[in-house]
Amino acid sequence: MHKKTKILAISSPGGHWIQLNKICNRLENQFDIVYATPRAQYKSSAKKSKRRIYNITDASADSKLNLIPVTFQILLILLRERPNTIISTGAAPGVMAILLGKFLPIKTIWVDSIANVKTLSRSGKMVKKHANLVLTQWESLSDNKTIHYRGSVL
Amino acid sequence: MIFVAVGTQFSFDRLIKAMDEWAEEHNEEVICQIAGGEYTPRHATWERFLDGEQYNQYIKEASVFVSHAGMGNIISARNNGTPIIVMNRQYELGEHRNNHQADGIKWMAELSGVYAAPTQEILYSLLEDTQALQVSSANNTEKLDQLTQFLGDYINTGKIA
Repeated sequence: MHKKTKILAISSPGGHWIQLNKICNRLENQFDIVYATPRAQYKSSAKKSKRRIYNITDASADSKLNLIPVTFQILLILLRERPNTIISTGAAPGVMAILLGKFLPIKTIWVDSIANVKTLSRSGKMVKKHANLVLTQWESLSDNKTIHYRGSVL
Repeated sequence: MIFVAVGTQFSFDRLIKAMDEWAEEHNEEVICQIAGGEYTPRHATWERFLDGEQYNQYIKEASVFVSHAGMGNIISARNNGTPIIVMNRQYELGEHRNNHQADGIKWMAELSGVYAAPTQEILYSLLEDTQALQVSSANNTEKLDQLTQFLGDYINTGKIA
């Protein structure tokens, strides 16, 4: 039987995670998706479904020290799961995953949060030269070269 | 019942205090999720964090959901058919790392069933007549269909179509 392509879907909690789920719910039947997010044990989506969700340290630009453990955690997940593709909606954990993916190398997709209307998010700007595909959810932010628009979660 | 929630990452004492003072003056139950906030309500019921099921239950039961300008809450409100009023955190007041929520409420207010309250005065005036707040009727998934179709194709082919 044809084995489904494996994807790592990773994001911060809150709105980033909800947007990631909005997208991945539609891709579940096509791909084998594993997830990584902080406080994974509290996610009702994990309890209700058979989804595999890795818990990672909650790192943000405000807690830079936590970027060290989270980077190692993501590296271990990547080595164990060997995904074909990484997809992230943000923020800091997604940046680290995309940078690691670039060197492994794994195909990387950044979907910038819909909350960023006027400019790409700060983390989006960090990854835009590194991710294989960068999408904005606002048509006005697309330059059709490095930043593309192909719809949105809402 | 009015449900108030500020997310899990940051506190939003300004909004919680505004809703607590509103609760003092009005005969309506107010339930607040306050995260790490220093201000603890005296008139509203409060919890720091709620589990997902309880959280969704409150959104479903609320006549209005009052929230920080967080994406997750907008989606949850729309999924539960509850009107939502969003107030933005202000970078100038040290409430967020940047001011993206101020931009956020501008586009969020374009969605049906979503109301923006950049100030306490506007928040209170919206709460004056909650019957007038509309729930989103449009469950348009066209943009999500487009996005996920594209992503599926890209993952399979590596081509930006």
